[in-house]
Amino acid sequence: MIVRRLEVEERALASPLGRTSPLLKLAIALAWLVTLAFSYDVRPAAVIAAAALLAGLSVGRLAPSRLAAGVAPLWAVAVGIGVTNMLFSAANTDPSNAVLAMIGPLRLTAAGVAGGIGVAARVVAVVAVGVVFGQTTDPTALVDSLVQQGRAPERFAYGALAAYQAIPRLAGQLGTLREARRTRGLRAGWHPRMLVGLLVLAIRHGDRLALAMDARGFGSGPRSRYREVRWSPLDAAVAAGALAVAVVALLAGRPG
Amino acid sequence: MPPGGCLLIVGPSGSGKSTLALALAGLVPRELPGDWTGTLEVAGLDPVSADGPAVAARVGLVFQDPEGQLVMDRVEDDVAFGLECRGWRPGAMRERVPAALAEVGLSGLERRRTTRLSGGQQQRLALAGALAPEPGVLVLDEPTANLDPDGARAFAARLARIRDARSATIVLVEHRVDEAWPLADLVLALGPDGRPIDVGAPDEVLARSRAAIEAAGSWLPGPAGASRGREGRRPRPAPTVGLDAPPVLAARGVRFAYDGPVVIDGVDLEIRPGERVALVGANGSGKSTLARLLTGLLRPLAGAVWLGGADPSRLRAAELARRAGLVFPDPEAQFVAPTVRGEVLAGLDPGDRVLADAVAALMERLGLPLDDFGDRSPYTLSGGEQRRLSLAPALARAPRLLVLDEPTFGQDRRGCEALEEILAEQASGGTAVLAATHDERFIASFADRVVRLERGRVVADEAVA
Repeated sequence: MIVRRLEVEERALASPLGRTSPLLKLAIALAWLVTLAFSYDVRPAAVIAAAALLAGLSVGRLAPSRLAAGVAPLWAVAVGIGVTNMLFSAANTDPSNAVLAMIGPLRLTAAGVAGGIGVAARVVAVVAVGVVFGQTTDPTALVDSLVQQGRAPERFAYGALAAYQAIPRLAGQLGTLREARRTRGLRAGWHPRMLVGLLVLAIRHGDRLALAMDARGFGSGPRSRYREVRWSPLDAAVAAGALAVAVVALLAGRPG
Repeated sequence: MPPGGCLLIVGPSGSGKSTLALALAGLVPRELPGDWTGTLEVAGLDPVSADGPAVAARVGLVFQDPEGQLVMDRVEDDVAFGLECRGWRPGAMRERVPAALAEVGLSGLERRRTTRLSGGQQQRLALAGALAPEPGVLVLDEPTANLDPDGARAFAARLARIRDARSATIVLVEHRVDEAWPLADLVLALGPDGRPIDVGAPDEVLARSRAAIEAAGSWLPGPAGASRGREGRRPRPAPTVGLDAPPVLAARGVRFAYDGPVVIDGVDLEIRPGERVALVGANGSGKSTLARLLTGLLRPLAGAVWLGGADPSRLRAAELARRAGLVFPDPEAQFVAPTVRGEVLAGLDPGDRVLADAVAALMERLGLPLDDFGDRSPYTLSGGEQRRLSLAPALARAPRLLVLDEPTFGQDRRGCEALEEILAEQASGGTAVLAATHDERFIASFADRVVRLERGRVVADEAVA
């Protein structure tokens, strides 16, 4: 169920992309997104989406079915966003733009269609990059990398890891709250009251966990590292590849 | 307390057992402030005035809730977490982590995700995490309360080895004492007001203060039900009650699976009015899933469930609620309203005067009179009060079938006895009661009949004398 869907496959973690510094992967993701901001063209987004998916399938050893299951729902959202932009684009009201079709009272212009496709393509690229990152990154490795390579505050980083682990638990508790409502003959759907119940349970869990962490000496002084994270030649290779992709994407987006 | 011994602390809910455990670990009053008088010395330190790291370095603490104390995603990282906090060198950690896992019988699971372990394994992992820094004192606060009997026995066996090695002084807080009593060198019995009733060697304490400790609401070792005296038990309704009547519930060849493997595999079950049935089996044997199938929260993949002549999964929610009540393990996880009154009346007709009177009488019987409790938040009640409140919505509808999932979860002896009394009363009124449980004491005093599940199949179904 939800636990399975969140878990990263061991095979992907053992892959070169899985062993790459999560901090570096995060930086690459951000750099690629900045690249997308330079052009409205479809091509840079297509280059980046393709690069992310190919990297995930090759050096990330992701199972195609799993990758597809990860991107599909979000890509459906991307299409929705694209269509909306297409139909309601400001370009459609500009009388100088060529009309492709009339849908009832709506004018559909070539510029509007191009704009919608451009927006959709960028969302598709963002989704591809995000899903490949998520499916090749171990949460523990991410925290280790953020703390040791990114100098992130430890309280924040370990707190985030604990919160991530609480997700399946909270999902289960939400299920129980729904069932408890149904056994009383109450409406089975969503009710704001459930949020209060969930909040109480989450706070109780957080308190207990904080106490358990304190009891184990957390935050008491300099920590040593069970897993030392170091930059490796692999990281350099991945960075070089990512840079090449960004350059290709920028060139692909040049006008003319 | 001499070094290397084992101190057992017993007492009812609210007697301050857990507070004492937290104080020994230096968390009370530092992290959880309050009024503090008196002196305490643990491993040569005063945990009240000493700084946190110094105390944490000498005291290992294991809590009741297995999931609430695991920090990291993988088994070996979680064991290493406490060592990292104390600044152990990487080489020393690489040696100590596997050794600590071996001590608790989890070798080979180093890379396993902590969320994929069973409750019993998670609790032994928490023990490994507490043991890894080689603390002088190991404090355990009801470590087996959430485990099934096999998990609890495996945990107790590991604890016995640690005690026999005499490498750490053990302070064990428990109110279920059957497994813990033989481990103790010294017993401290607390009363409901937090004052000590007696302290001494286990045999002496039993000889001197048995009556006082039982009166305080604690369990003492012995066969199930013995500590309260057979003659003290309510007479059971004759086991033949309703046996000629048509069944309240009938399940035929019920199969169920979530996404993966089959969880319930061909279950046949009939329950008649007034029967009190215990549904037993290890964690993961399908007890909770079966409880949901029988009360219409899940629909079987194959086979059929009949609840008073209808398929419960196809009934309207309000009709279903009238026929069957389901109570979940954790009372706090099922509250749906901001007040006690709202909690009982949720889903009921607010204009019905007869019903309102019946609910008021019910809450009186549950010891939660609406005049005193009606406007309080359910979350502010004590554990025993929460348990009784969690029964109220189901009882208010006088269902023909009452299904309870782990009803004694988190309850002390008084809580359990109050629960047994309510259930006996329901059964004598003709309600069939099915309780999924692994509480052996509760089964002995509650059930007329025990149904045992193993990997989703009924492997035994027999009346108990």
